[in-house]
Amino acid sequence: MSDEQPRTRENRLTGPIDGALHLLDRQLIDSEGKLLGKVDDVELGSDSDGVSITALLTGPAALLSRLGGRLGSTLVERWGQLRVSEPHRTRPWRIDIDDVERLDSAVHLAVPRDGVLRRDRDGHRLGRLTGMDVLGPDGVWVGRVLDARFEPGAGGRLVLCSLIVGHGRPGSLLGYDRRSDQGPWVVRSLVRWLHRHTVIVDVDEAAISWAETTVTLRAVPHERPGHPFEKV
Amino acid sequence: MKKVFAVALGILTAIGGFVDIGDLVTNAQVGARFGLSMAWVVGVGVLGICVFAEMSGRVAAVSGRATFDLVRERLGPRLGLLNLAASMLITFLTFVAEIGGVALSLQLVASVHVLLIVPLVGLLVWLLLWRARFSAIENVLGLLGLALVVFAVGVWQLGPDWSALAHQAAAVQKPADEHWRTFAYYAVALFGAAMTPYEVFFFSSGGVEEGWTTKDIATMRANVFIGFPLGGVLSLAIAASAWLVLGPMEISVDSLGQVGLPVAAALGKVGLAIAILGFVAATFGAACETGLSVGYSVAQYFGAQWGKYVRPGEAAVFHLIVLLSTLFATAFLMTAVDPILVTEVSVVFSAVALPLTYFPILVVANDPDYMGEHANGHLANTLGSVYLVIIGIAAVAAIPLMIWTRMGQ
Repeated sequence: MSDEQPRTRENRLTGPIDGALHLLDRQLIDSEGKLLGKVDDVELGSDSDGVSITALLTGPAALLSRLGGRLGSTLVERWGQLRVSEPHRTRPWRIDIDDVERLDSAVHLAVPRDGVLRRDRDGHRLGRLTGMDVLGPDGVWVGRVLDARFEPGAGGRLVLCSLIVGHGRPGSLLGYDRRSDQGPWVVRSLVRWLHRHTVIVDVDEAAISWAETTVTLRAVPHERPGHPFEKV
Repeated sequence: MKKVFAVALGILTAIGGFVDIGDLVTNAQVGARFGLSMAWVVGVGVLGICVFAEMSGRVAAVSGRATFDLVRERLGPRLGLLNLAASMLITFLTFVAEIGGVALSLQLVASVHVLLIVPLVGLLVWLLLWRARFSAIENVLGLLGLALVVFAVGVWQLGPDWSALAHQAAAVQKPADEHWRTFAYYAVALFGAAMTPYEVFFFSSGGVEEGWTTKDIATMRANVFIGFPLGGVLSLAIAASAWLVLGPMEISVDSLGQVGLPVAAALGKVGLAIAILGFVAATFGAACETGLSVGYSVAQYFGAQWGKYVRPGEAAVFHLIVLLSTLFATAFLMTAVDPILVTEVSVVFSAVALPLTYFPILVVANDPDYMGEHANGHLANTLGSVYLVIIGIAAVAAIPLMIWTRMGQ
């Protein structure tokens, strides 16, 4: 099976990653190589060091809310209604980030899948951060959060360092904005043209309001995103 | 020696596995009406499936991820779900057509009403998917499918004017009594039949089942680039035999018996018996592949355990989906719907759905974070981009052509 073969890919958890591109929707594989779900969302916790990844969320409750907007919240509500006697049914299942061993083309856990899931705590979600409206210092709409970049910080936690902001939907970048040589030329040119307004914002320059689902910037951003893996 | 055997087996099963009910019916229909003037469509379709099967196989070997993992990952949950619904609808239709095809093939032998055979076939397919080993399904049915080589023998035995056939193929000589719009409609259908998306779902998932690593890329390429084109030659033989025997009599193909008729004319009873064996094996093999593909794709979207490399109890969701889709497919056929009609519809809708499958594969096969040194080269990218355009045109044109020509009448 896939996890027994030698992998040339490095473990991404030791370097900077883009949350939506590298983590969301990846396959979850347990310590025995069994499959147990997808990364349907990512739990973010904030403390004095900033916002960091605390857990991976999986299951219908997380997946349905990512289908977006009113449809998503209605579907989560309906999912709860299917069995009202079950407590916390609309809360997704979580896997603590400490149980994650490796990230490559899939997320490899350090534990077997049997009984590994726990109910979600109150936490913020990456799936909600991406898609938030971004406002400039004067309150003018700049774009939406398309992706969030994380770097390993103190204690090995992946800490939010910057936001990628542009027009269009989260995920529509397909990874093309980040690397200059990724082919094929037709697709790269089209995606780059569609995302010609995409910029990267340092998280210290941004105030995230989870309640209002908006991000307000302190300065108008201009810097284009570059790929975190690209050797300069 | 063992390696040579593995490569040869892979190529042979790729030839036998390439032809399914869609290829059988569409090639015979096109052959009877247009002769070999659409041979270039088969060529374009076969090259296309080679390009994308190689890409998806390479991604599976390098990353261990099958096609629907890529779809979900690159398109996100929302577009991915729409894609899943569309792709599964078409794969399910193909599954129905294949089960119907097995029943029709068996009917040619048993002469019992097809509705009495359908439940039996459904049960057999499900039992095989539940109990049999993956390699057994692939190898046995793929090798038996080689019986369809009898069509090539039949063409040779009919002793056609080879230069006239070659000229018809090379000069795209459409028979004068056919309209260009029906020509275009059948071209799209033939292209859809050659590039049916389930082939890459099955191919890449099969690669993960068999535990391919980067070391297997060479073997995988040999299977694809030798096996599929030879399968395409089989398709052309079916078309040529239909043209030689059915064309002069103005017979249009609307049953499986008519597909086999040219072989009977050329080689008699024994030839027909071998052809029917080939029909049963090819459609049965494809029924297993499409049935598995439905389970693979749904499980891959939701991340559930899938595959026949684990015991059925460990992949319960996957086997439940396979069971339910087999039940629904059988029930659908029991409404006495014509399997040939389902086949015709499924190949046209396949053409519509092609970009949904092939676009994410092209994007991920280019991602160096994912593929490292095995990312697409210039050749794969040039071909991939050209095919993206061709696939786009076929997808947009398919339904208008279907309405305009009233399904090729």
